[in-house]
Amino acid sequence: MENQPMLKVTNLTKKFGNLVAVNNASMEVYPGEIVGLIGPNGAGKTTLFNAITGLYKPENGKVVFKGVNITGFLPHKICKLGMSRTFQVTRAFLHMTVEDTVRVGAYNRRNEKNVLAKVDEIIELCELGDIRTRVCGDLGLAQLRKVELARALATEPEMLLLDEAGAGLNATELSAFMTLLQSLNKDYHITFCVVEHVMQMVMGICQRIVVLDSGELIASGTPSEISHNQRVIEAYLGKRAVNYVN
Amino acid sequence: MNSKRLLNQRNLLMLAALILAALVPLAFRSDQYAMILMTTVLIYAVLATAWNIIGGMAGQLDLAMGAYLGLGAFTAGTLLIRWSITPWIGMFLGGLVSMLFAMLIGFPLFGFKIKELWYALTSSALVTVMQVIFLMWNGVGGPTEVYLPTRISPLYSLRFNTYMPYYYILLVLLVVVIIFNNRIRYSKLGYSLLALGEDEDAVEVLGVNSQASKLKALMIYAFVCGIVGGLYACIYGYLHPSFFSTNMSTEIAILGIVGGLGITYGPLLAAVLLVSFREYLRASLGGGMEGLYLAVYAVILILIALFQPRGLAPLVNSGYRKLQTFFGELRHGKPADVESH
Repeated sequence: MENQPMLKVTNLTKKFGNLVAVNNASMEVYPGEIVGLIGPNGAGKTTLFNAITGLYKPENGKVVFKGVNITGFLPHKICKLGMSRTFQVTRAFLHMTVEDTVRVGAYNRRNEKNVLAKVDEIIELCELGDIRTRVCGDLGLAQLRKVELARALATEPEMLLLDEAGAGLNATELSAFMTLLQSLNKDYHITFCVVEHVMQMVMGICQRIVVLDSGELIASGTPSEISHNQRVIEAYLGKRAVNYVN
Repeated sequence: MNSKRLLNQRNLLMLAALILAALVPLAFRSDQYAMILMTTVLIYAVLATAWNIIGGMAGQLDLAMGAYLGLGAFTAGTLLIRWSITPWIGMFLGGLVSMLFAMLIGFPLFGFKIKELWYALTSSALVTVMQVIFLMWNGVGGPTEVYLPTRISPLYSLRFNTYMPYYYILLVLLVVVIIFNNRIRYSKLGYSLLALGEDEDAVEVLGVNSQASKLKALMIYAFVCGIVGGLYACIYGYLHPSFFSTNMSTEIAILGIVGGLGITYGPLLAAVLLVSFREYLRASLGGGMEGLYLAVYAVILILIALFQPRGLAPLVNSGYRKLQTFFGELRHGKPADVESH
């Protein structure tokens, strides 16, 4: 992995009025990696994602994707370049069927002639065959998360940002989900950056973890390094816990 | 297989309705009132079907119909009055003018992400602004009515003594608009519009340029409104700034909503049922108590909103399915497999 980073965020700052949601954050994701982005509630993880994918314009800093400076690009342009995402609170197209939802994403790289082949491929890959004609508004959370992943996959991305894709899933659903992500990473060569609270998933599939606290990056390393990092324990559990853990 | 058959049956049904619509005027030829009524219904049907693209699919509560209709009317009318250009060409030029105007309006509106209530208010205000501009613009008539000339041949100036020709022109336009509407619905633009009507950010990260998609939808809608505007001027035989009507604009949106958002045949259904019902009420109640028909009409709309919030079209759809199941049972002795398409 000594090649160029696929995603390079440099000194990114995003403010809402006086609140600094992300402060001078820098991080890199290399091709083929699964990077976990963790941090306590309100640390600015989702804001960072929004700034990377173009939903927010950062006040300061630079986002470079595949060597292209995409800072301030509109989200659809970034998607055309090969980056898509899912949302923390699922944002399904509630009146549309599963296959139509996937189709919206598939049009990113397909035309009318070959769009259906992609839809079929993704639906099979994500095991959505049983519910493909169901309306999204009738689905449960686990299914909605899968549909969100499916429609993002349909855009044929090189990099996917998943915002708490594992939240609210039970143990069986979670392990199936992790297997799917790993296979997408290995067989489809998709690079992932995942915001996650479910530690089982973070520790299970992430090769590298980046920790954000109060808008600032406080640590970066392998899962085992991170779980012993003093500043991380402090951020999650408070100062006294550091003494206790040690 | 089943969905294909359903589609064919539906097309057959539409064809039957079309033939019926084409034959009806022949029966009511001598009844001037019936002809006016049917022509009015068709005007509303075309406009509401076009509204479905921006309002139903893209989910933008557009109330600016009158602005585009008025522009089309004044373009086609003025071309005929000043330069004797036939409205056959004039109405398409009117459509073009409306479309370009929609582009000028839509570009900043969608660029600044004005949506929902704010979009509704802005588009409604647009109609009033246009009305004021045309009231003050003496070059095209200002506040006085300007009559379209009748001295040229009726076919050239589109000025007929009966409503029959207008009815058929509108019927052709309706069929074209419905086919076009259906094409869009099952294309990239249609899927994108439906999705962005639900969540614009989510659709953007899937590679859809929501601003451009909405602009396309608005321009197509304005084009149709402009064409209808040209016909409208010919039917009424004069030009007046009252063509920029906020009332009519709102009514088109209501028909689109009551018919069923995003369903191609919904607005058509609402226009046929509600506009003819309203006119019937106006004719039967209008003599004694003026305005009462509007109250009754409003109550009907409220009832539909209360009990059938997704519109009339889903109601008819489910009735149609039930009928199919019923006939399927008769034929096979067991319930037919009627999956939704």
